[in-house]
Amino acid sequence: MARQQGWFALILALAIAAGALLFNFPLQLGLDLRGGSQLTLEVLPAGAVKTVKKEQLEAVKEVLERRINGLGVAESTLQTVGEDQLVLQLPGEQDPSRAAKVLGTTALLEFRAQKPGTEQEMQSLLQLKRQVQSVLNQKRARAAAASDRQSPPPEIQLKAEDLAQAMQKLGLSVPAGTSESDQLDLLLSTVNSKIVALYEPATLTGKDLTTAGRQQQQTGSGWDVTLSFNREGGDKFAALTKSIAGTRRLLGIVLDGRSISEASVGPEFKVAGISGGSASITGNFSAEESRDLEVQLRGGSLPLPIKVVEVRTVGPSLGAENIRTSLVASLSGLALVAVFMAVTYRLPGIVAVVALSLYALFNLAVYSLIPVTLSLPGIAGFILSIGMAVDANVLIFERIKEELRAGNTLIRSIDTGFSLALSSIVDGHVTGLISCAALFALGTGLVKGFAVTLAIGLLLSLFTSLTCTRSLIRVLMSYPALRRTIYFLPHAQLPLGAKS
Amino acid sequence: MSSSVSTTTAPTPRFRISRYRQLAWWVSGLACLFSLLGLLLCLLNPAIASPLKPGLDFTGGTQIQIERRCPAPACSAITAAQVQLQLAGVTLPPQAGDAPPRLTGTAVQVLDQGRSLVIRLPALSPTQSNAVITAISVAVGPLDPAGTSVNTIGPTLGAQLLQGSLISLLVSFAAISLYIAVRYDLLFAFLALLCLAHDVLITCGVFAWLGLVAGIEVDSLFAVSLITVAGYSVTDTVVVFDRIREQKTSLAHLPLQQQVDVAVDATLTRSLYTSLTTLLPLLGLIFFGGSSLFWFSVALAIGIAVGSWSSIGVAPTLLPVLSRR
Repeated sequence: MARQQGWFALILALAIAAGALLFNFPLQLGLDLRGGSQLTLEVLPAGAVKTVKKEQLEAVKEVLERRINGLGVAESTLQTVGEDQLVLQLPGEQDPSRAAKVLGTTALLEFRAQKPGTEQEMQSLLQLKRQVQSVLNQKRARAAAASDRQSPPPEIQLKAEDLAQAMQKLGLSVPAGTSESDQLDLLLSTVNSKIVALYEPATLTGKDLTTAGRQQQQTGSGWDVTLSFNREGGDKFAALTKSIAGTRRLLGIVLDGRSISEASVGPEFKVAGISGGSASITGNFSAEESRDLEVQLRGGSLPLPIKVVEVRTVGPSLGAENIRTSLVASLSGLALVAVFMAVTYRLPGIVAVVALSLYALFNLAVYSLIPVTLSLPGIAGFILSIGMAVDANVLIFERIKEELRAGNTLIRSIDTGFSLALSSIVDGHVTGLISCAALFALGTGLVKGFAVTLAIGLLLSLFTSLTCTRSLIRVLMSYPALRRTIYFLPHAQLPLGAKS
Repeated sequence: MSSSVSTTTAPTPRFRISRYRQLAWWVSGLACLFSLLGLLLCLLNPAIASPLKPGLDFTGGTQIQIERRCPAPACSAITAAQVQLQLAGVTLPPQAGDAPPRLTGTAVQVLDQGRSLVIRLPALSPTQSNAVITAISVAVGPLDPAGTSVNTIGPTLGAQLLQGSLISLLVSFAAISLYIAVRYDLLFAFLALLCLAHDVLITCGVFAWLGLVAGIEVDSLFAVSLITVAGYSVTDTVVVFDRIREQKTSLAHLPLQQQVDVAVDATLTRSLYTSLTTLLPLLGLIFFGGSSLFWFSVALAIGIAVGSWSSIGVAPTLLPVLSRR
């Protein structure tokens, strides 16, 4: 008896601890329940790296974490999934397009000197670039003015034949019906990559940056991105500028294989190069572009390219709706189960309802302890594990009833009921856990969440049905007033002579 | 252990499953055939061309769900064709050098008397999805941003999800049968696996027919429900087998068929009660739960009901037949 009371005290202590835990550390809700965006990013092999390994994934994650901090979204989480994927959760974020853009680019910054003897070609490309850029800028300004209902600035037209000629010269062909601005975009990106081909290999890269900032241009509405190099980077920059100072060769700033800025270096830097360890990129950026570039450069370039493979965005009211309806539904179902248990199994049925309530409490406490982020499939796993826990109790009580019908005494029936039901309960739970292991090891996101909650539920269910229910019944049986078979089984089902 | 012997020395089963075994076999056989037919028709249907209609999770693409902010009392009527026409005229911004997809002939569903729309598109970038939402708001009036949900699954990820789901299903089947083969014997493991296949097949069959008739698609939650059904099915079967094994010595004088009758009779109440208590929360989710868990709950409810049936009517009745050989 003392042992049973020991169990009883332990269960009571656990219940109080679980309640306190839940009170202090509320459950984490998944994005499908509270609204927000979730992005799955896949790391792609590139260059010498044929398959992505754990270290490389971690390296990518580190860079992305710095960029996410730069974005300033509260409570964002970034987790690695499997061999080559990362899942980013942005709670409350309704528009993941900026995050996708900032995170998805490699942001490899290079400083490269122009190859000697390419001045002629560079001149014509730069002229074309300026032309296209000014038309695009005008278009952008007109669109902005139109949305602000201001009178639009005059439109600069690039003549259709000029455009066609420039396209032809670069060997571009576009399908008929492509809009003019699409054609211009294509032209600009081709010009930028042609320019890159005229540069020497990079001697200085974004690795040597200490920080990046931005400032508004003194003339014009654009923004510049400012850079500070470490000592080594400052030396490299000085050497690089010295090598081309006073020549007609240019210094190119290349981001992800596209030339974003070209600068000439004056003859006054012939002796020592540009020293001081800082520079700025005048790349005709809008305020937002300059901010994003700053974030990317501060975070460093990605060691491997990544691709956004999955985006899920849920509005907050849909999330609230999901919570409310799922809660109401599961609670009403469970209330019916409680009524059923109490009616069918009488006293032990009521005990089981108490034990199952404790079980639900323990379950939630474990969720907040691990912590498990509760999503819709997670709730489904929780409800199903309650089903399994009820099953364990049903198995035991059916056995107890059987023993009573066979004419055994009450206490003896309870003991045999528990011990005979044990092997079925264990087998059922073990097979369930095997499924969970397979789901967890091989499944993805949603499936994993389900497997975790179901597995926790199954382990706890083994504990509660074999200890909680049992010791509660044993404690009750120590009161003679309750030790009556009528509380377990209708009299009609008892064998003659066994009534008490 | 003396008490367990005393309960089983005088077995007089109220219910003899062996009397109904022909009927049980016919019902299960026909249900399996009907399910196979559904899967086959889905496979032959040129619009589906796979045994079950794959949803966004497996095909990849973008699904946009929007809610309109309408003045009382009701939303103005809109048709799917209206939205399709509007979308066909949209030019999307290009993404990372790839030409944007054309939006002609997109699948549009109008729900809740025109209050919300579900649109299925090729995989779009977040910027492109925003462009689509802007275009729709032009066509159907103001939208409620809090009720918008956008899901994009890249085509390679879709294939990965499908592969992952299938592999985890097969691996868990194999591991479960290995466990039963070790704990019981090979024949029990075979029968448990047969039952499991029966339950999963019929659940899939129902969804194949739903796909054919009502266009219902299966997603990764469906794969989850299949694995859960498998777990339940095995648990149910094991409870009966556990009872058969337990009384093997005490009932050794009886033929196997009668031993099975006694075991099924003894576990019948438990099987029915357990299915009932599991079905209650599921029925709650089906009738009162949100739309996101509706088909998941339906799949589970069907699977658990079928699983309960097969653990009573199929596995135990086949045991005497197969063990004679």
